[in-house]
Amino acid sequence: MTEDESIVSEEFVGLSLNTINYNLNQDDRPPPPIMHSEGVVSTDITQRFRAACATLEPGELVKDGHFTLFESVGALEIMDLKMDSGCLAPGELLDDDYDVTRPLLPSEVLGIIDQLLCLEMAWHLGYPLSQTILTSMYIEAMLVPSPTSLEEADFIKNHPDDAPRDTMHTVLRAYCLGLVKSCWYVNDRIKGEHYYEEEDFVTNTYRRSLLFDVGLYEVRDEITEARRVLHSIRSQIPNEIGLALDFRLELRTAFLRAIELSELRSNPESLSLPWTQMKAIWEPIDKSRHLGTPVPGAFSTKIQRRLASTMPPRPIVQLSFEETSGHFRRLFTDGAEVLKVLNSSDPQSLLNFVFAFQAQKPQPLVYIRALLQFFMFKDMVILGHLSIKNVMDNDLAIVVLPCSRLLDPANDAVEAPHDPRFAIAHQVETFRHRAAQSYLDIFRALCQNRCRVRRTLCHSIQDWEMVQADAEEIDQLLQVQLDEQPIIYQTALAWAGSEPAYSLPLSSWAYLYKLRLMEWIVQLGFELETYQPDELAGMYWYLSYLAKTRAQHVERIKAFTVQRMTDLRARSQPGPYGSFTPAMEAEFTRSLAYLRATILDAAVTWELADGLCCLYTVLARLRLVVAPGTGKQPLEERPYGSDALRYDIRMKPFAAVGLPELPAFDSFARASAQPGVATSSLLEYAHRAVAGARKGYDALAKLPDRDAFTVGCHDRWAARTKNSLRSVIAASIAIAALQKALARPRDGDVAASLAANSALAATDVVPQAVADRLGLSATVPKPDDAYHEWWIVPKVVETKAPPKHQFS
Amino acid sequence: MMRDDTSIDISTSLEAGDEQAKTREEAGGFLRSLLNKNLRVTTTDSRMFMGSFKCTDTESNIVLQDTYEYRQPSLQALQKQVEEAVGAAAAATIKADMTSRFLGLVVVPGNHIVKMELDEFVSQMRK
Repeated sequence: MTEDESIVSEEFVGLSLNTINYNLNQDDRPPPPIMHSEGVVSTDITQRFRAACATLEPGELVKDGHFTLFESVGALEIMDLKMDSGCLAPGELLDDDYDVTRPLLPSEVLGIIDQLLCLEMAWHLGYPLSQTILTSMYIEAMLVPSPTSLEEADFIKNHPDDAPRDTMHTVLRAYCLGLVKSCWYVNDRIKGEHYYEEEDFVTNTYRRSLLFDVGLYEVRDEITEARRVLHSIRSQIPNEIGLALDFRLELRTAFLRAIELSELRSNPESLSLPWTQMKAIWEPIDKSRHLGTPVPGAFSTKIQRRLASTMPPRPIVQLSFEETSGHFRRLFTDGAEVLKVLNSSDPQSLLNFVFAFQAQKPQPLVYIRALLQFFMFKDMVILGHLSIKNVMDNDLAIVVLPCSRLLDPANDAVEAPHDPRFAIAHQVETFRHRAAQSYLDIFRALCQNRCRVRRTLCHSIQDWEMVQADAEEIDQLLQVQLDEQPIIYQTALAWAGSEPAYSLPLSSWAYLYKLRLMEWIVQLGFELETYQPDELAGMYWYLSYLAKTRAQHVERIKAFTVQRMTDLRARSQPGPYGSFTPAMEAEFTRSLAYLRATILDAAVTWELADGLCCLYTVLARLRLVVAPGTGKQPLEERPYGSDALRYDIRMKPFAAVGLPELPAFDSFARASAQPGVATSSLLEYAHRAVAGARKGYDALAKLPDRDAFTVGCHDRWAARTKNSLRSVIAASIAIAALQKALARPRDGDVAASLAANSALAATDVVPQAVADRLGLSATVPKPDDAYHEWWIVPKVVETKAPPKHQFS
Repeated sequence: MMRDDTSIDISTSLEAGDEQAKTREEAGGFLRSLLNKNLRVTTTDSRMFMGSFKCTDTESNIVLQDTYEYRQPSLQALQKQVEEAVGAAAAATIKADMTSRFLGLVVVPGNHIVKMELDEFVSQMRK
């Protein structure tokens, strides 16, 4: 148990905690030794040292016993151009000759600001500060030596108090102050949440304080003052440049305001104001980008030599303004959108929000993802007003336990140890403690980059496996306390035990989550192009197997919920207790709505996956989809590895899961390739499955946000559902195209071969010669080109005129 | 333990095998005595590296730990300081700071070394 927990937590430790250590190490460095001191004598030992070294045999080393050669691998080689950042090319100067005190034209300030905007976005995208904002001469001059007050935060040092500052310098300084301060906040927010250092984002500030000591309001006032000064000289500078500068300063104020408000986690409408404001300001900024005069001299890679980094200078990351503009627009939109998470009315809507928000392509920026985590988890108060207990109980009530005695808050108040409610409160609390971390980890994991989401979920399912087992023990204790009678239940899926069964609500809840995670892992596999085209048939079969298991499981939960509702209704008596109140009715209705939506979702997944599995199997039989690298070779002739070995690797995350058990390779291969089933039957089956999926998606798309549990994210969810529906239509088109092509009259051997293939005793794959003469080709789209990244629907097209016309 | 003032005359000791072995022993002893001492190594580009001596080989490649890099002030910086000093009408000698930077573990290739110095506390030196 602990071992697997540690895997999961390690996964998270890998995120951001390491960086903290890293930063600590930076600060722990010894101070630079003093060069000259009375007590120290230096002796020149050059000659003696060289002579002594010369006596050593080649390969012989003199070294400290504690120093290992392994360590020396990490040493920087001095005078090596690639490693030694201090190494200068012949004639190269250490510093660039740029005077930050020189007067600037308004258009030059605009040019510098626009370059800074591009660099800021490059930083948001994951490039280090050293290659972005910290390449600015002005910012370097402002931050070194580290300013301790607003007055010191200036690129013109020792500015005399009485002399008025040049207006353009005032504007640029105010902009830089706003930029650097917001960088500090962004960096701080990201560092405080889970992310992957250097993979998602680089939080290293190279020991630049980023105006830590200067207050937010001071900076804001400075920007306001700069805008006032700018306004006062508006007659002296071209009007449009003046306006362009003003918009840029306004953007900085709005950004700082957005940051400030995000701390509140209150009403999203009021928090989103600065984001919408920025969105509006961006348009004139984008339109005025041609007005600036670039000042390339104001940026230099050589500053990197002064940063606390041992990297040789690397080039400035240069995004085009157009690219930058697109990313900023997206940032502002997402910034306003992410706030809507605070509207989520229930845990399932929250989960759907996080899922749909993070599934956007391209994914929201790291800062936005950090904000989302912050909104959800800050101080362990979910969404700013809910306790973890509150959220979990709500989730349990929706999924398995509407109006249950188990979740009655009054249980906690019972002090008599013999009262069953006392025991119930204790057991349920034990369960909450056991499951809380795994439960919250799902939300946290979904906020990571897509590859990490999949990877983390692979660990999480081991965790949920254990949660489920522990929950079952607690369930068994609880059913004694509740004096629960096992029932024989019947479900719509005709899968019912004849043995009486207990409801096992807590483990049912855990099992449902585990199944969802397992499906997500497979679906993310499609999204991330983990599987090769020839594996798609098998993976869709496995997805349909998982979805079917989920549908059956939810049917089971539903049977118990309906039973309990019927019992409660039957026992209902008038009076304050024991009556079936409208509130209870509403809670049951809500739970049943959730179960219905889940069954529907599982069913469409299962049907469409089933249809695609059959479709890909047919394409493999017709040699229209083959393993990569094998060209026209039969599938089984892949030189290294075998399908069985590949199956072991693919299914590794699921191998440790006890329920649903991973099918053995043989049954997996049989189920996906379906030998003995005629190709025409496969297509017929696929046709029916896809038609079923279409009906399901139509029904799903009609659900209102309350019933789909997508309050706060319904639009995004509905768009995804619609894309799935498009995939369904594409799949039915591909199936129809195959059916039509195969039904066409053929000449001699092709006809014979196809007939044989259609017969029950099908030989699996048609001969190459036959495949060549089918006149069909199939393309497997990239996930990004598919309607929905989880539904890789092949495109089947006729490549040449059918043989009938050739011979007639 | 090797004494600091032992001098080795390489040209003569190369003559006989015995002598040679003895010289090599002494040379090794000298190098070992330097281990973990603070060395200042000046390179061909006139930077100086100060760190604790960890390892060397026949080509005088040197590994230093916890190394700081010191660089002579750039011409621009020097000029600026001169101007400031003149403005303040200060003393005849101008003190310019070398810029320093922490590097950690470094290897200085022997062919780039122009000078090596041993730093010792006066109090710990043996006369």
